[in-house]
Amino acid sequence: MTAAPPPIEKSLIQLNDVSKFYGEVLGVNKINLAIPPGITSLVGPNGSGKTTLMNLITGLLQPTRGTVDVCGMSPEDPETFFRNVGYCTQFDSYPKGFTGYDFVYSFLRLFGWDHAECERRAWHAIDRVNLREAAPRKIAGYSKGMRQRIRLAQSISHDPRVLILDEPLNGLDPLVRAETIALFREFSGEGRHVIISSHVLHEVDIISDQVILMSSGYIVAEGQIKGVRNEIEEHPMQVLIRCDQPQALASRIFQSKNVVEAKVHSDGGGLLVKTRNADEFYLMMNHIAMNGIVVETVAPVDDDVQSLYEYLIDDGGSSNAGGGSK
Amino acid sequence: MNPVWWKQISAVLRLEVKKSFFSKRGLWIYFLALIPVLIWGGHWMVMRYKAERMHNNAGAGVTKEKLMSVKQGMTVAEVEGILGRPATSRTVTRRNGTEFRYWSYSDGTTTRHITFRDGAVQRLNTEHAGCDLQEDTVIFAGIFQFFYLRLAIFFGCMFVFMNLFRGEILDRSLHYYFLAPIRRDILVVGKYLAGLIATTVIFCVSTIAQWALFVVHLDPINRDAYLQQNNGYQHLLAYTGVTALACLGYGSVFLAAGILIRNPLITAATVLIWESINGILPATLRQISVIYYLKSLCPVEIPMQQGVPAPVALLAVNVDNAPPIVAVLGLLALSAVVVFISTRRIKRMEINYSTDN
Repeated sequence: MTAAPPPIEKSLIQLNDVSKFYGEVLGVNKINLAIPPGITSLVGPNGSGKTTLMNLITGLLQPTRGTVDVCGMSPEDPETFFRNVGYCTQFDSYPKGFTGYDFVYSFLRLFGWDHAECERRAWHAIDRVNLREAAPRKIAGYSKGMRQRIRLAQSISHDPRVLILDEPLNGLDPLVRAETIALFREFSGEGRHVIISSHVLHEVDIISDQVILMSSGYIVAEGQIKGVRNEIEEHPMQVLIRCDQPQALASRIFQSKNVVEAKVHSDGGGLLVKTRNADEFYLMMNHIAMNGIVVETVAPVDDDVQSLYEYLIDDGGSSNAGGGSK
Repeated sequence: MNPVWWKQISAVLRLEVKKSFFSKRGLWIYFLALIPVLIWGGHWMVMRYKAERMHNNAGAGVTKEKLMSVKQGMTVAEVEGILGRPATSRTVTRRNGTEFRYWSYSDGTTTRHITFRDGAVQRLNTEHAGCDLQEDTVIFAGIFQFFYLRLAIFFGCMFVFMNLFRGEILDRSLHYYFLAPIRRDILVVGKYLAGLIATTVIFCVSTIAQWALFVVHLDPINRDAYLQQNNGYQHLLAYTGVTALACLGYGSVFLAAGILIRNPLITAATVLIWESINGILPATLRQISVIYYLKSLCPVEIPMQQGVPAPVALLAVNVDNAPPIVAVLGLLALSAVVVFISTRRIKRMEINYSTDN
């Protein structure tokens, strides 16, 4: 992985050497990014700096060092900036006593539009998140998914060029999740920026044009999703096989060129195997299971995001800290 | 001024005024504003009851002169000879055989309570239906300065104005404003005006109600004297104006405190102490306070009699009243400077609810 941000002229959202410290505590450090239009996902475990980065882009936080430029605009000029930028935060809180409609409508009035225009935009945004029926009800009575959607409606109600969403799929049921993803695609299809944060890698895998992996305030990988996925594939995957004869199984599987390492599990009831090609390894396991060894379960143990970060940080993170890779 | 800013201020008012008026947590403000109204309302009812009782007890042929002619040492028969049968009477005989008679006579406006001991007048008390205008005017000024200005309006403004920003940080909803295309200084002005509308309406209505009850409780002669010779309407105007200026001044201070300082208790205690010791501060420092200007505008001076406790004397003392125009302009300038500081500070404010709580 090399630290080579994309050319400036192709990028519209730029962060140059941005760092944020909360006193002694690191938020993010030496972030250099240039984000083109399309769906960009910020992925990282809790505490990796995703929200801090989004708050820095939208001016809710101010960088300790470095500069942020969003399509040539700065949050220091909110009158221009927030007519073009919408941010759906993770804060699940609302002005007291508001209905869903009031919430979207009232903050639209801050744009200086008249009642009719705000009303039209509010209903349009509410319709886009399929919340028309619930809109006249108090938000306090909404489910988590409905609250998520009304926040989304509020953030898109002014039709922003740049849409930033912090964990937008949290709490949504599968149907609404699919509709919401379709909405993001519609936005990005119109040449807008959609920046999404998530700690679930497979979730962003299916929707993102590009991905930025973060860990402990640093960018550990950045680029198109395919490249990051390939990087993941190069990393040996660890599989736990529960079986009645782990030693015998170990001697059998070492015959495969895809197996890098195998060791008997500490409880003696299984085998931990590292393989470079999971698909071929599973085929081989089917064959072994049919030849005398009783295999109870075969389960990957390190396909979660945390493992990926550990891999990226251990293997190359130190060289990429502050830069990212393509 | 940019016309969009007016629309934005109006949108902020739309969001904030209702919240400032009807916050469940802030209902006690109405109670604070109501306390002096209840005091004067209660006083009025007591006075009315007293006047009615005197009127009902008025004896035929009883005049003020006759009432005042009763002296200590007179016998029961002598008193009866002057005033006739009493309107009310009660007799108590002690164990040692001493007899006490408690008689009351009234001419409709004055009541004389006579205590006989073993058949001779021992004690005389006189009660008038009307009130002492001068004394009541000073009492009104005392309640207004010591309770209403220094406690009710002070703490009412503290709650409303500190909540404008600090309350939203605690509720984690301030970011919605910060993510809207509104300049933060315009937001400060909008929120300040919302708080000002709410507090001014609540406290000025209370001031007017207090004054109205004060006037109503006066007997007709004193009422005419107060309204026509004693500048009653000017008092109303002055008290209402001082109330509005108090909301303006304390509002600006607590608005800034809500933006600059996290702990409202420390802020309240600091401002309260500063305002309380205003009278003993050097002249220059004295002018950096709200109460200095407000006291200068109060229409009635509270005379400090000997023997008044030191803390009360400290609150009342105003060694060099500012002329009214200077007081009004000084307070407006002080408020403008504090609001300006708030607008500068809020530009650097970050949304970081976890550490702000």
